[in-house]
Amino acid sequence: MVKPSSSSSSTSQDALALFNSLRSAYSATPTALKIIDLYVGFAVSTAIIQVVYMALVGSFPFNSFLSGVLSCIGTAVLAVCLRIQVNKENKEFKDLAPERAFADFVLCNLVLHLVIMNFLG
Amino acid sequence: MLKLLLAFLTLTLPFLAHSFSPDHPTDRRVLVLLDDLAVKSSHSLFFKTLQSRGFDLDFKLADDPKIGLQRYGQYTYDALILFSPTVDRFGGSIDLAAILDFVDTGHDLIIAADTNASDLIRQISVECGVDFDEDPSAMVIDHTSYAVSDSEGDHTLIASDDFISSDVILGSKKIEASSILDNAPVLFKGIGHTINSENSLVLKVLSASPSAYSANPNSKLSSPPSLTGSSISLVSVVQARNNARVLISGSLSMFSDRFFRSKVQKAGSPDKHEKSANEQFLTELSKWVFHERGHLKAVNVRHHKVGEADEPAIYRINDDVEYSIEIYEWHGKSWEPYVADDVQVQFYMMSPYVLKTLSTDKKGNYFTAFKVPDVYGVFQFKVEYHRLGYTSVALSKQIPVRPFRHNEYERFIPAAYPYYGAAFTMMTGFFVFTVVHLYNK
Repeated sequence: MVKPSSSSSSTSQDALALFNSLRSAYSATPTALKIIDLYVGFAVSTAIIQVVYMALVGSFPFNSFLSGVLSCIGTAVLAVCLRIQVNKENKEFKDLAPERAFADFVLCNLVLHLVIMNFLG
Repeated sequence: MLKLLLAFLTLTLPFLAHSFSPDHPTDRRVLVLLDDLAVKSSHSLFFKTLQSRGFDLDFKLADDPKIGLQRYGQYTYDALILFSPTVDRFGGSIDLAAILDFVDTGHDLIIAADTNASDLIRQISVECGVDFDEDPSAMVIDHTSYAVSDSEGDHTLIASDDFISSDVILGSKKIEASSILDNAPVLFKGIGHTINSENSLVLKVLSASPSAYSANPNSKLSSPPSLTGSSISLVSVVQARNNARVLISGSLSMFSDRFFRSKVQKAGSPDKHEKSANEQFLTELSKWVFHERGHLKAVNVRHHKVGEADEPAIYRINDDVEYSIEIYEWHGKSWEPYVADDVQVQFYMMSPYVLKTLSTDKKGNYFTAFKVPDVYGVFQFKVEYHRLGYTSVALSKQIPVRPFRHNEYERFIPAAYPYYGAAFTMMTGFFVFTVVHLYNK
């Protein structure tokens, strides 16, 4: 029979071990991908801040709210796409040059921000 | 000289006779058709009240072969009085259709029938929505509210005081005897009629009492009378949709001098009135029929945006609009401001989006302000004013309403600054990321 205290301590130890292994695995990630992750995190947190703000003040300029949030979401999605394509581990895109992937990323971003500016009102 | 006269005549001829219109409310010529020229003197008091109010009466026998309502396509009379209950055929060019056309073009008509009224008079009445008792010898009999009389014992001389409650039709002064302060009744002796309850244009002005019935007073009543009680109308008026007014009475003698001057005592009542109310009742009623009261005109319909004076060709949604209208009532000699607190304007597209009661300054000016609804389309300003005894005012004016133009929306709303900030932050972030990503190697 397992004691509750030893069980909880083993759970926290498991979580700690998991977290440590995750951190050590992630530290092996190339810096370029880490930068992309930082960028995605920044975009998603900006989107969350806007949603909270909208919940507080109301949805009056709804088009502005949509364009603000969608610009963050769009940026995050495009950055994730870029990360998938430039990841060396990913064999699916091994034929695609990282320069080509980056060019696609830039073009899509330009289109996104053009649309956002039109809709911002 | 002759040329001058001819020129004068051609110039003035079109103005000689008109139906009542806001531009020509006065100088009215009335054709009076009689069975017998003796009526002219026996009913002189009634005719005198008309003449004293400026009407030009033209007395003709109903079968005079030279009479006609029109000449060269123009009506030569403004109103027609038919004091000829027994006439079977009018002389000249007048017939049923001519009289109906006369009313259809907005002219006024007074019909007095009597016992033995001819089919022609009945037909005219039926066309106006009034059905006289079909029995030619029937009269209205009332054994409880008859007028006490020495000579007549069959109770066909009725003293009625069951008037319509409308100041505009009967005048604001209470109908009362000259000497006693309480109400004197109106004397009536003739045939009764009913009005179609579905016809909203016909109004009972003087009704019979609940105990009245319509039958031949000289014969024994073998079957129940067809007309009974207060559904019998003694005097009715019609206001057609074109504002022509018609007065229909089942008694010619109620217009007579004898009834005007008669002392009256209603059966069962101790009050003896020195004078019947006939004169006042019929004078006031004739004023209404000849549009000296209750005729409204609406002029100066204006609408504009708040703060502007000109009427725009189109409104935008959410515009603030001011609407004003002037309503006047004809008082026999001049247009007086009409005062009421129930005139409403609708802003209407399939259904009223805005319904507002107009405020008035008691000088005939009605006005209000409202916001155009947040709906675009083709709207109408509508005033539909229908009141008992008044001519109807029905105005509508079409006006389109457009949505905001592309550049009319609000810009740089303070509440939206975080969203603007986020969008521009994302652009800056994209630029910084690009630089970092490229030079990271």
